Order: sequence, then C-alpha cells, then structure tokens
Amino acid sequence: MAENSQTPESVTLTIDGREVSVPKGTTILQAAEALGNRIPHYCYHPGLSAPAQCRLCLVEVEGAPKLQPSCITEVQDGQVVLTESEEATRQRTGVLEFYLANHPLDCPICDQSGECKLQDYVHAEGRKHGRSREPKRVFGRDDFGGDILFYGDRCVMCTRCVRFMNEMAQDPRLTVVERGNRSIIDTFFEEGVEGSPYAGNIVDICPVGALVSKDFLHKARAWDLDHKPTICPNCSQGCNIDFHVRDNRVQRLKPRANLEVNQYWMCDYGRHRYEWMNREDRIESPVVNRSGRPVPSDWSETLEALHGRLQEGVRPVKAVASPFASNEDLAALRHLVDALGGGEIVYRLPRADREIPLPGFPRLSRRRDLAPNGRGAEILGMERVGDDEGAGGLDELAHYTGTLVVLGDELADLEPDFGEQAALYIYVGSHPSPAASQADYRLPATTFAEQEGTFTNHEGRVQRFWPGLQAPGLARPAWLVLGALAARMTGGPVPTSAAEAFVQAAELAPEFQGLTYESIGTRGAIINEPVALPGA
Amino acid sequence: MPANNYRVRVAEASDMAATVKVMRRPEPGETSYIRATLKGMALTFKHLVNPDKVTRQYPEEQPDLSPRWRGTHRMEVHADGRPKCVACGLCPTVCPANCIRLVGGEDDQGNRYPIVYEIDEFRCIFCGMCQEVCPVEAIHVGVHFENAEYTRERFVYDLDRLMEQDHPSTLLWDPSDPRSE
Repeated sequence: MAENSQTPESVTLTIDGREVSVPKGTTILQAAEALGNRIPHYCYHPGLSAPAQCRLCLVEVEGAPKLQPSCITEVQDGQVVLTESEEATRQRTGVLEFYLANHPLDCPICDQSGECKLQDYVHAEGRKHGRSREPKRVFGRDDFGGDILFYGDRCVMCTRCVRFMNEMAQDPRLTVVERGNRSIIDTFFEEGVEGSPYAGNIVDICPVGALVSKDFLHKARAWDLDHKPTICPNCSQGCNIDFHVRDNRVQRLKPRANLEVNQYWMCDYGRHRYEWMNREDRIESPVVNRSGRPVPSDWSETLEALHGRLQEGVRPVKAVASPFASNEDLAALRHLVDALGGGEIVYRLPRADREIPLPGFPRLSRRRDLAPNGRGAEILGMERVGDDEGAGGLDELAHYTGTLVVLGDELADLEPDFGEQAALYIYVGSHPSPAASQADYRLPATTFAEQEGTFTNHEGRVQRFWPGLQAPGLARPAWLVLGALAARMTGGPVPTSAAEAFVQAAELAPEFQGLTYESIGTRGAIINEPVALPGA
Repeated sequence: MPANNYRVRVAEASDMAATVKVMRRPEPGETSYIRATLKGMALTFKHLVNPDKVTRQYPEEQPDLSPRWRGTHRMEVHADGRPKCVACGLCPTVCPANCIRLVGGEDDQGNRYPIVYEIDEFRCIFCGMCQEVCPVEAIHVGVHFENAEYTRERFVYDLDRLMEQDHPSTLLWDPSDPRSE
C-alpha cells in the first residue's frame, strides 16, 4: 500500500481485485477511471451533475444489498467493488437491451457511427440478437435551430444536453417532454437553441447520434478522421481543441479537455471558423521580383539573394506582424529586425465589441481579441495599430521608403501599390494578396495549422499546438525562414526545430525564460511561473 | 560464404565438357516434304470431325459462368430509380485496393446518399468484400467479364454507370449452404 494512502483525506478501496487510493469524496466511477477501468455510462459527464438515471454504470459493491450507481456512490475505506462480476455484467446487458428496444440501428447513415457509445457498449456486452417484437417508436428528425439537428429515435435519454444548457450555458432551452417510454428531448416553442453561443457542445457530449451538427452532416466517417491536438486560433482564450482531419482538410473542430482553460467546452464562434485553414489559394514557392517581373524561385537561391541584398546595407526597417502567428514566428521576426539595426514592429488585431462567457465556467469566454497571440506580440514588444476590424493603421507604411517586412498579415484592406516606394519589401505569408504584389521577395509561410508552435493566451498561458495539415509546395514555417535569415546576419545558430525557435524566443523576452517545450507540455504553462500542474 | 559459393559454381561450369552434335541439313531436291504435309493435314481433318472438340464459338456462344464469379460491379436501385447506397462509407473502408471513392450528402428528401460514388475497376482486385460489407445490399460484384473499352478513363465507373449495369449480381455464398459445408 502506498504511503500517501494513510493521509486522512485518502480512501483505499479494491476495484476488481486491484487496490487504489483516491481522495475522499471521489466516486467509484472516477476511482475506477484512475485505474484505467472505464465503467460504461451515459448520463455521467465529468463537467456536469450526475443524475444517475442511465443505470448503465451499476456495479456490485460487497455488502450492499443491490447494485450501486458508480457515478454517484462515493468511495469508502475498505470497499470491495466488482465491475465485471456476473451480476454487474448481466445487468449491463439487460439495460443495453432496453436501450436497443427503440433504437433504430441506423448506424450506416448515422454520423456518430464509429464514435458512438451505444455502438461500443453493445458491441462489447450487448446481446447478439434482439428479442423485442414490438414496433419501434418513431420520432423522425427535428431541427433544434442553430447548427443542431435532433434524431429522437437514436436518443438514449441521458439528458446531458438538457443539463449542459441548464448548468453550463445557464440558458434552459431544452427539456424532457412526455413521460416513460414516450419521453423525449424537446425545445421550448420554436425557439430551439438558435443564438445560444455555446450550444455546439451538446453535440460533443451526446453519447449517441441523437444530436448532430448540420455543418458536419454526412461529411466524413468518424474512423476516417485524424485527431490532431491544437489550439483554437479564433480568440485569445486559447481553447484546447482537436482538428479532425481527412484528405488534408480540417473537417471539424472539437474541444480537448483542459480544466484550467476550457474544461470540456468551446464556443460556437470558434467551432465554426475553420474553413480558412482549408483555403487552396496559397503562395507555394518563393517569388523574387526581378525588375517588375515576379519569378518563382527555390529556397536556397532566394535566401542567398536576399542575404546578399541585406548585406549591401539596408535602410531603416519597419515591420508588420500578425497576432495569428506563433510566438516562435514573431520572435524570429524580432530577431531579424534587430539584426538589421532594429525598428518598429506593428500588428493589427480584430476586436469584438463584447466578451461571451460561459456562465457555468466563467474562466472560459469568447474574448474580445479575435486572434490567438496578441499577448505574444505584446510580450515581444510589438505595437497594436488599426481599428477593431483589424484594418487601417498602415497608411504611413504603405508609402514607407525604407525596408519593409510583413509577416502573416494579409493586408486585405490595402491597395496593390502597398510598399511600392519601399527600398526593400519582404512579404512572408500564406495567402496571395494584392498588397503583396510589389514585394521584392514573397516568401511562402505555413499557416499555424501546418506547423508546430506556441500561442500565448489572454492570461499569459503559453500553449503548444501541433501540425494538423500538410503544407503545400515549398511553404515553410516563418520561424525557420526568418530565423535562418537572422542567423546568417548575426552568425548565430539556425533554429532546426520549433523547440529551438522557442528557446531563441525566450532569449528576447524575460516572460518566456525558463519555459521549454517539455515544461509547457500539453496543458500549457503560465509565463514566468513554474509549470502548471496537469489538470486534476 | 556467398563469395565462396560463387567461386565454386564458376569452377564447375568451366569443368563441364560441352558436346555438340552437328546435324546435316538436307540439300534441296533430296526431300519433298509431301509425306510430312499429308501427315499433318490428316491430323487437322481428324480434329475437324472429332466429337470431343473443346473450341467454344465465342461470342456467339457465351461461356457458362459460376454464380459466384466476381466481375465488375453494379449498384442496386430502388423502384423509383434512386441508388440503394446510403453512403455509410464501409466499402471504401474495407476495400483492400482502395479503389472506391465516396462523398456522402443529403438528397432533397432528407436521405443520406452518395454524391460521388466511383469505382476504379483497374485498381479493383475483385475480392467482393464491398458486397459482403454493404449493410443495405447496394453494391455488388457481378457475373460479368466483358469489360473492353477504348480509353482507360472509362474504367472508372461512376454512380450512373454502376446503376446502368444489368448483369446478374454475384452470389458470395450458396444461400442453401452459407458455410460451404
């Protein structure tokens, strides 16, 4: 027995013959999960209250007269729990048979197929053949408004969606109507969940295919999707999310649990803004402007020529950065500008008129800053310009006569003559833009979805993201391109990985000092603080 | 070891004495070939009247294919002409040759159906697993073998083409003896 089990708050019990010590107040289901034993359940969700109504998590507790719902039964010292006993298994098989009595078994046309808990549990422990001869009850399909479709026949009445709307969104739009066999989830009047800013989460927590997203309807099969961990780029909250990728395209975004940032949730604003990552109009190779004619080139030739040009001596530098770029990219830009004698770096950041918090977990909010890394740009000494639309503020730079470097900003509001008078105009970006047409060197960068890096969110939490898509053509991460240029100018080392680029970023900003990719991990770390503990 | 073996083999080859028998070709006029020609023609005419001949008069006479013959695909259709396929995605998943391309969508009646359904018959290995896995018995391999086309592109069968096919579907097993016992 471990030493720490003797502390007063700790309780030791035996689950399926294995001893485990957990804090007092833990439920049997959570204790079993700590052992890696996932007891089947529908109505229990770690982020919501547990009504113990699905009757699937019943386990045998020695001494108890009947099976206990493990999701609300607190552990007690010396308790002996059997989750796989004959009685518990027989009970689960029976409950699953009841669930299937009215389930349409339309897995071939159901979007949840492949990630469906009913499918998993029935496959593992269900009866091979149904015995019910009665006709199944039929509800058909209901539009719940917004992005949500409801297939009542598939519902297992776990009421997670109702509880999410009541407890988390605190905007009761769903309820259970009718009773007994006829009970079903429904909306009040015709309003539905339309306009509820967090309603998309009820699709995620639905254990079966009853609530599905219209956006994702029939789009891809769950087993075809690669899940790539990343950070939501749509506001400065920095929700931990997964890309679900097929055919090198992001098909949908799903929240990834991080108890300190977004718990299990994300907002609909972020959830539905992913199409730009799939854009196909991309700068695919370096383009050098030779006496007014754009000539596609390769990297070694371009960097060689650009380095030669920079060594001839440069006019004072001004740069435009983007709050959508990673800390590493921004730091590499800062390194390059410093190597060229220093200069002002500005960025433009779209800003919403209000925050949209999740009432049940107010730490999660759609922040006003609609970019993931404004804080990182601020830390690296960049200055915000322009208006709340993320436009304007660059009129002076448009006719600047020195050296001009643009990183990431698409300059959508600017004229094609932007940078015409610049002595040297370097544009590092992902998408072609009219305002980049005058660039002497147009260098293809990856989007954040195609590279590894970190963002610093509104509260100063540095969080890592990983590549989810393959970059087109010769596009390379901006930290590599700018880092290689800066290294050539200063004679310093060229960063060969995002982790090294972050170490170089930490040299610039005391806030990042002491942080490494290892210490940031998958949960993120607050700047200039020791590593945050993994979520309890 | 390999080097030694090699040397041994070379030594054996060079030790072997080659014996060549030189045949004399008959001069013109020394032989007429008439007897040999008659012998040959006699055999030919014998076959012409042989009742046990194996030649089949294809294409006038079609071969008798097994009901379990696995040829090019066909898609079953509903009475109203819609394909039976519900775009569940199991056939592209199970296909070992990766020859099925499927894009699902919703038709105007709210049914899930394949917007794009293509089978590359050149890539197909005719294993029949698509038919076996299909939950709605829509896609079938067929009892059919005459697939000649003028262009390679025509071998990518799209949904309309698959629905047009009218050859019989393959029986993957004998219904009266599903376990081949």
